[in-house]
Amino acid sequence: MDDGISLIELILNASFAVQLVMFILFLLSIISWVIIVQRWLVLSSARKGVFSFEQRFWSGMDLSQLYKEGTQMQQENIQVVGMENIFRAGFKEFMRLRQQGSVDGEAIMEGAQRAMRVAYSREEEKLEKNLPFLATVGSVSPYVGLFGTVIGIMNAFLGLAAQAQATLQVVAPGIAEALFATGMGLFAAIPAVVAFNRYSALLDNVTSSYITFTDEFSSILHRQIHTN
Amino acid sequence: MNNFLNNLIIYNGYPLSIVVAVSFHSLILAFLIWLQSTSSAESLELVQPTIIKALFIDENPQVRNQRTIEQQRIREIEREEQRRVQQERELEQEVDRQRQEDEQQRAALIEREELERQLQLAQQEELERERREREQEQEDRETRELAAKQQQEAERRREIAEKAAAEAVAQAARTEFELVQSATAIIQQAVQQVWNRPPSARNGMRAILQIQMLPTGELLDARITQSSGDPAFDRASENAVYSAAPFTELRDLPINIFNANFRTLSLIFQPEDLLN
Repeated sequence: MDDGISLIELILNASFAVQLVMFILFLLSIISWVIIVQRWLVLSSARKGVFSFEQRFWSGMDLSQLYKEGTQMQQENIQVVGMENIFRAGFKEFMRLRQQGSVDGEAIMEGAQRAMRVAYSREEEKLEKNLPFLATVGSVSPYVGLFGTVIGIMNAFLGLAAQAQATLQVVAPGIAEALFATGMGLFAAIPAVVAFNRYSALLDNVTSSYITFTDEFSSILHRQIHTN
Repeated sequence: MNNFLNNLIIYNGYPLSIVVAVSFHSLILAFLIWLQSTSSAESLELVQPTIIKALFIDENPQVRNQRTIEQQRIREIEREEQRRVQQERELEQEVDRQRQEDEQQRAALIEREELERQLQLAQQEELERERREREQEQEDRETRELAAKQQQEAERRREIAEKAAAEAVAQAARTEFELVQSATAIIQQAVQQVWNRPPSARNGMRAILQIQMLPTGELLDARITQSSGDPAFDRASENAVYSAAPFTELRDLPINIFNANFRTLSLIFQPEDLLN
């Protein structure tokens, strides 16, 4: 008491409700950081994948050659991600329908586009995964922290009411402990909100380039059908 | 580059991100703890509030008794020292006198030896008598010293006994102390709340009121033992005590504690938060 309370003492001496809130917030903070790091890895690799695949795609390479390269990579146990998956789905469907021969051009186009749409939504789902959790943590954890603060301050004032001689020393630790809960809530919320906004922008960027690529690729396929 | 990223996102990058997140949090925790440990080393200085509404000093008889006992002890020690110094001075004087007498006698002896040898016998007798006297004196001195030593020992013993008694009183007082403290705080608060300071009040004015209370907490009498010099201020402090009474909280106190501490109580009224 004489030379300030240590942080650990403060946490250990907190009431059960406040301790529970602090524990929950700590857990939320850890989980949201796991997601932040993991999403960063996934999204940045997706963005880099977009660049590198677009380079390869527009380098004038034969499309069937590109497709074969992808198959080879899959055989070498290297994951094929993002835009390449869309390309592979569309190209595979296109080739398969063409080999059947009986189907007309519009039907082939429709089949290829459908396959690409499916692959696109699968990819988007992969990229979007867990982002809503970040949004939830960002918006909810301040309230959870506030809840802990309210409980803590309530306890402090209840203790104050029991005292005949009210001094600042009686209330101060309770309020400090209560405010610590709010601090933890903000600590969990701020990175989550920042990361969510950043990653949403990144996600929009990547998915819009997927959509653009899908359109471009289908126009190439369309040209191929109608030239023959 | 693509390979490197592919390696990073093994199992969708979960292992790496878990490691990163956990180590990040433990780093922050360690930093907080380190911050705490360094900041607690240099303790914060408590800034005392400059504004104090009133100061009350209770004239605690126990404390007063202890103080008087201590003063008595100090006085006794001083007296003893004086006595010792006096004894020493007397001794010195006696020795001086003897030496002077000796010299005189010796001078007389030489004269008489030279002039009259007949008187030698008589003088010898006289000398012997004096020697006897001196011996007697020495004996007297010894007995006196012995008596003094005995007295000193007795005093020391008395001192030890007094100290033990004082300690016992202090121990009892420590348990009483909290009760007394809280009761005085209550009185202080009650008086403070109803104390209307007159416009003529100035910082540093000081009025001391002696109040007498009954065990029920009722106020018997309040009179000013030291005026502030401003009659309005004195009256205001008197009014405050009268309107704050009775102090019903005193009923809960054990009667002996009440008698010892609250039968009469001195309150000091001294505003320190005025703007002038």
